[in-house]
Amino acid sequence: MGPCQKMSASIPPKSRYHGATEGAERSVTALDAVAFDAQLLTQLPPAYGYALRLMRNKADAEDLVQEAALLACRGSQTFEAGTNFKAWFFRILVRCFHARHRTAKRRPETVELDDTPDVYLYGNFIRSGLPSADPAGALIDRLGTERVGEAIQALPTEYGLVCTLYFMEDLPYHEIADVLDIPVGTVRSRLHRGRKMLQKALWQAALEAGVISALIHEQEQRT
Amino acid sequence: MKHPDRFTCEETFRRLDDFLDRELGAAEMARVREHLETCAACAREFSFEASVLEGVKRKVRNIDLPVDVRARVTAALRKERGSGAG
Repeated sequence: MGPCQKMSASIPPKSRYHGATEGAERSVTALDAVAFDAQLLTQLPPAYGYALRLMRNKADAEDLVQEAALLACRGSQTFEAGTNFKAWFFRILVRCFHARHRTAKRRPETVELDDTPDVYLYGNFIRSGLPSADPAGALIDRLGTERVGEAIQALPTEYGLVCTLYFMEDLPYHEIADVLDIPVGTVRSRLHRGRKMLQKALWQAALEAGVISALIHEQEQRT
Repeated sequence: MKHPDRFTCEETFRRLDDFLDRELGAAEMARVREHLETCAACAREFSFEASVLEGVKRKVRNIDLPVDVRARVTAALRKERGSGAG
């Protein structure tokens, strides 16, 4: 048995999700190393993006992706034909993250949730007299990629894991559930609360960056 | 008087996330759409939320894979297999 067939405790069981992606129709058991690597390499960009959001720095993200790739290689026999290769690989990535996170514990785990109303940004736009027709253009674009990314990264881990997959990969709830090995209902509730926390963080970031005052000033100029 | 087949504002609002994420069944999707076509207030809220979600998604998707990461992984896989061949 070669090293890429060795089993690892970190390899997740077979994926429950059977919505196969393009290129993932055959079992890895039927793939040679070249074909397996080809599938794996196509997942590196999204995996790196996810890892970067989780780990917060490039070096750790690169290490996480490499570690996950090696574990995927070693556990290739656990990939089931007809299932989603991406979900399978991301599950390995998340397990690697959890293994590190248990040691590192680097992000705050408590957050005030209950006082954040639904549609928080919308309410603040209306109360501030700002036009609500294009909030993405008005607020999100002005905040920029870095601040928006930081707001997601600042979410407590269990919410950040769900929200990052949702926002970065646009995965449906059942695929997020499969990657994170949690029920769909948990995905739904964490996403709902995560969005509220994110909206609150985005508003705060916009206040601190002067985006809101600039928007109010522009609105006053128009009227 | 409430039409028995139509969602109220509250019923529609409860489905905001699932509607925007296309997680509702076809019948519920249709009933939410029907409400939004006749309720300007809910339509504004839904449109606002959709805009925020899309805006955030656009921002966080633009991450490029550093060139050396692909090379590092490829080399690691090759080494892994090579060490097992002997």
